[in-house]
Amino acid sequence: MRLLVALLVWLTFAASASAAPSALDQALKAGAAPVAAGPQRTERIEAELVPMSAWATPGSTAIVAVRQKIKPGWHTYWRNQGDSGGPTTLSWSLPDGVVPGDILWPLPERQRLQSLMNYGYSDVVFLPVPLQVPASVQPGQTLSLRVTAHFYVCSDEMCVPEDLDLSLSLPVRDGAAPLDPRHGQAIQVAVASAPRPAGIEARAAFADGRLTLSASGGPLADAAPKWAYFFPFEGGVIDHAAAQTGQRGPQGLTLTLAPGRGLTANGLKPPLSGVLSTDLGAWEISAEQGAALGEVSGEGVIGDGEAAQTPASSTTPLAFLQAALFALLGGLILNLMPCVFPILAMKAAALSRSAHEPAEARRDGLAFLAGVLATFLVLAGALLALRAGGQALGWGFQLQSPGVVAALALLMLAVALNLSGVFHVGGGLQGAGQGPLSRLPGAAGAFFTGILAVVVAAPCTAPFMAFALGAALLMPWPMALVVFLMLGLGLALPYVLISLSPRLLSRLPRPGPWMETLRNLLAFPMYGAALWLAWVYGRQTADALALLFGAGLMLALALWLYGRSQAAPGKGRLAAVAALLFLLAALGLGVLAARAAPASTDGAASSAHLPSQPWSEQAVQTALAEGRPVLVNFTADWCVTCKINEGAALSSARTAEAMQAANAVYLVGDWTRRDDSITAELQRHGRSGVPLYLLYAPGRAKPRVLPQLLTEGTVVDALKDAAS
Amino acid sequence: MIRMLTVASASLLLLAACQQPPAATPDKAAPAATETAAVAGPGDMAPAFTLVDAEGVQRSLADFKGKTVVLEWTNEGCPFVKKHYTGAMQALQREATADGVVWLTIISSAPGTQGFVEGEEARAWKAKHQAAFTHLLLDPTGEVGKRYDAKTTPDMRIIDPEGRLIFIGGIDDRPTNKVEDLEGANNFVRTALADAKAGRPVQTAFAQPYGCAIKYPETVES
Repeated sequence: MRLLVALLVWLTFAASASAAPSALDQALKAGAAPVAAGPQRTERIEAELVPMSAWATPGSTAIVAVRQKIKPGWHTYWRNQGDSGGPTTLSWSLPDGVVPGDILWPLPERQRLQSLMNYGYSDVVFLPVPLQVPASVQPGQTLSLRVTAHFYVCSDEMCVPEDLDLSLSLPVRDGAAPLDPRHGQAIQVAVASAPRPAGIEARAAFADGRLTLSASGGPLADAAPKWAYFFPFEGGVIDHAAAQTGQRGPQGLTLTLAPGRGLTANGLKPPLSGVLSTDLGAWEISAEQGAALGEVSGEGVIGDGEAAQTPASSTTPLAFLQAALFALLGGLILNLMPCVFPILAMKAAALSRSAHEPAEARRDGLAFLAGVLATFLVLAGALLALRAGGQALGWGFQLQSPGVVAALALLMLAVALNLSGVFHVGGGLQGAGQGPLSRLPGAAGAFFTGILAVVVAAPCTAPFMAFALGAALLMPWPMALVVFLMLGLGLALPYVLISLSPRLLSRLPRPGPWMETLRNLLAFPMYGAALWLAWVYGRQTADALALLFGAGLMLALALWLYGRSQAAPGKGRLAAVAALLFLLAALGLGVLAARAAPASTDGAASSAHLPSQPWSEQAVQTALAEGRPVLVNFTADWCVTCKINEGAALSSARTAEAMQAANAVYLVGDWTRRDDSITAELQRHGRSGVPLYLLYAPGRAKPRVLPQLLTEGTVVDALKDAAS
Repeated sequence: MIRMLTVASASLLLLAACQQPPAATPDKAAPAATETAAVAGPGDMAPAFTLVDAEGVQRSLADFKGKTVVLEWTNEGCPFVKKHYTGAMQALQREATADGVVWLTIISSAPGTQGFVEGEEARAWKAKHQAAFTHLLLDPTGEVGKRYDAKTTPDMRIIDPEGRLIFIGGIDDRPTNKVEDLEGANNFVRTALADAKAGRPVQTAFAQPYGCAIKYPETVES
C-alpha cells in the first residue's frame, strides 16, 4: 500500500513539475539575458542602470532605472533640491530612435539641515525613466543604453558632485516581458508609487504675505488626511524650511505656506505646480491662480507630517512582527475556511482514532505539524524563488496549473474511498496496535495529511493572510519564510495542542464502532472536495474533463480490487495484479488529463450572477470616463471565499438594484488561470491573492478596497457612496 | 454553517482592522508659517553688521555708505563655488571693484566645518584664489549670514549707495557645478551692477540661490 501512496505523491509532484518547466525555463532565460555593465561606485554612492523588464519589445515603452545606493549620512536630490544641493541629471546616449522620457521622480524625503530644508533621497532609490523603443528594432537585437548620471551627493558637512557612466545592454524580443529578476519588482513599485496627477483641482492665492494653496476633489474628496505637505517643483516659491499649516474640509484641504523670496520678489507666476503629499498618498497638482475652492476647510487643522515622515520602505522589526503575528492568526482562521474543511475532516478522523493513546496522538500531532511546516517551506521557497526569477505569481499559484488540480482531485478521491472503507492504508483500523511496523503509516499518514492540508488550503486567502502574505512577499526572503512558517504553525496549532494535551484527549469519546461510522461520514466532504477540484479543472481546460473522470473511475476500481485483496489474503495475488493494471490505466489517463490544453477562451466567470464584463485597466478607465462607478471583482474558481462572496453578497437582488441605481459597471478579473496583468494589479493593492474587490468612483483616483468577506450591506452602501 | 463562519471571520477581520493602522504619530505643533517676512527682501534696507576681516580689522557695512556693496558668501570646498572660482568670479570682482564697487566676500562656515579659515590661512586666502574682492570677512558664528538669510554658497547680495538691497540670490541661472555651464549663463550680479550703474531699476532683483548649504554652527539661533 505504501507503494500506492508513493505513486500518488509522485503523480502529484510529476504533474506539478510538468507544469512548472516552462515557467522555470523563462525565469532562467530572463536571468541570463540582459548583460548589465554592473554598478559603478564612488566612495559615497553606487549607481547602476537596471531594467524593469527582462527585455524590450519593439514599438513599446521600456522602463529602465538608475539605481542609487547612497552611503549612510549622504543624500542625493529630487527635481527641486530645496535649499541646497542639486537635482540628479541624466545625459543619455541611446541607439537611433530610442527616446528617453523624463525621470519619474519618487516622492522625496524632507531632509532638514538646521535652518535649511532639502528634498532628496537616502539609502537605496530608483529613478525610473521610460524609454520609447521604436517599432523598427528587430527582435534578437540588443539595445546598448548609456547614460551619464550627474549626482550631487551631500552630507551635512559637504557636497560632492559625482559623475558616473552607466550602461546596460537590453535585449529586444517579442511578447510581454517578465519582470527582471533583480530589480524589476522594485522598479515596478517605484513606477506605480511615483506621484502623478489624480484629477485634483487646485488654486493658489498670494495675499498679505501668505500663499494659500487649496486643493479639492479626486482622492481628497471625503478623505480625512492627518497631514499634508506641498513640495513645489520650482525653488524660491515657498520657504522650503517653514512649517506648513493646513485645514481640511469635506472636499479637500487648504495649506498656508510661507512665501519664498522668489515669490515676494517676482509675484505669483501660475500655475504653481508640485507634489501634494499626505498620509493617504501623494499626487502631482497644478494650481491656477484664484480664490480658495469650496469645502476645503472647516473640518479641523492638519499638520505637515514632518514628524510622521517615515524613512524609505525598509522592513522594520515592528512590521515584521506584525506580519508574523497576523500570519499566525491567519493560519488559525484557515482552519475555519471552507476549502480546508475536508482536510479538517481527515484530521478529526485521525484524532478520534488515536485519542486514547496519548503517545500515539502526540506523535501524530507532531508529524502533522512537521508535514504542514515542510510543505509551507517548500511552497513558500518555490514561490519566492520563482518570484525572484521574475515570475508574476501569487499565493495559491499551484492551483492555477490544471495538472496539479487533476492530481489533487484524484488524490481526494483516493482519500475519500479510503474513508469509505473501500481499502485500508497500512492495515488501517484493524491493524492498529499490531506491531511497531504498522504504526509507521500512522506518523507518515499524519505527515501526509499535513502536506495535503497546506496544498489545498493555500488558495483560501483568509483575511489575515492577505495582509501578512502581501507584506511577506516584499520582505527579504528569510523574513518572508518565517512569516510563511508562522502561517503553517497557525494552521496546525489547534490539532497539535489537542494531541499534546492528555486532558483534552481524555475528553474525546472512547473508540468503538461509532468511529467507523464517523469515518464513513467524513468521506463525503472528501468526495465533495474531489468534485470541486474536478469542476475547477473542467473550467481550466478545454475539453479534458472526460479524461479526468476516466482516470477517477480506473482509480476507484483499482482501489476497490486492492481492498478485496486486503480482505481475502488467499486470493490476493490476482486481485493485486488487476489493481495494479487499473492503477496504471488511471495514471495514464491522469497524465493525459494533466497535459490537456488549457481553455483558450477567457470569458468572464459565469459564476458571478450580476451581468459582468471581463476586467482590464482599459475597461475601468472607459467606464470612469463615462462617469460610471466601477466594481471590480478579482476572483478565481478555486477560491472558495470568492465563490461565497459571489453567492451571498454579489448576486442578491438588493445588490443588483444598487448596481443599477448607481449605474455601475461590474468587471470581473478571473485569476483561475495565470494572468500576469491581474497579478500585477493585485500587487498594486498590496495583495498576493484573490479575492480583491475594488470600487472606483468617477473623479477619485484611488479605488476603495472592499473587505474580503463581503456582505450585501457593505456592497450596497459602498455603491451608494460611489454614486453620490 | 458557512454563514456562521463568515460572521466569525468577519468579526475577526473587524478586530484586525481596528489594530492595523500604525497610526501616524500626530505632528508636532507646527510653528506659524509666516515668520520669515521679517528678513529683508529686495528694496528693503540692508541689515547693519560688523565683522572682522582676514587681516583682523573690523569692517562695518556703515563704513561703505555711499558706495555700491556686493556681498558674496563663499566656501572654498564647495563644488559650486569652485566652478565660479575657475576665473569667472575673480573677473567679476575685478570688473566691479574697478567700477568703485566694494566687494565683501564672507565666510560663514563654523569652526571645524568645510570652508572655515582663520589666522594665516585667512590672510593667504585672497592670494591662493587670485581673488579681487575688497575684503574677506569672517563670520564663524554665522550670525551675519543668518541675518541676511544666506542659505548657500555662492549666495549674493547687492546693496545700493543708500543702503537698500537691490539684488538677492543666486549668481546665475545655471545651478550646477559644471565649468562649461559658465559659458552662456546669465550672470545676475553682472547685469544688476550694470543696471545700477546706468540708473535703471534692477531687472532681476531675486534669483533662486543654489549651491552647498552654508555650514552654520547649530548653536546659532536663527
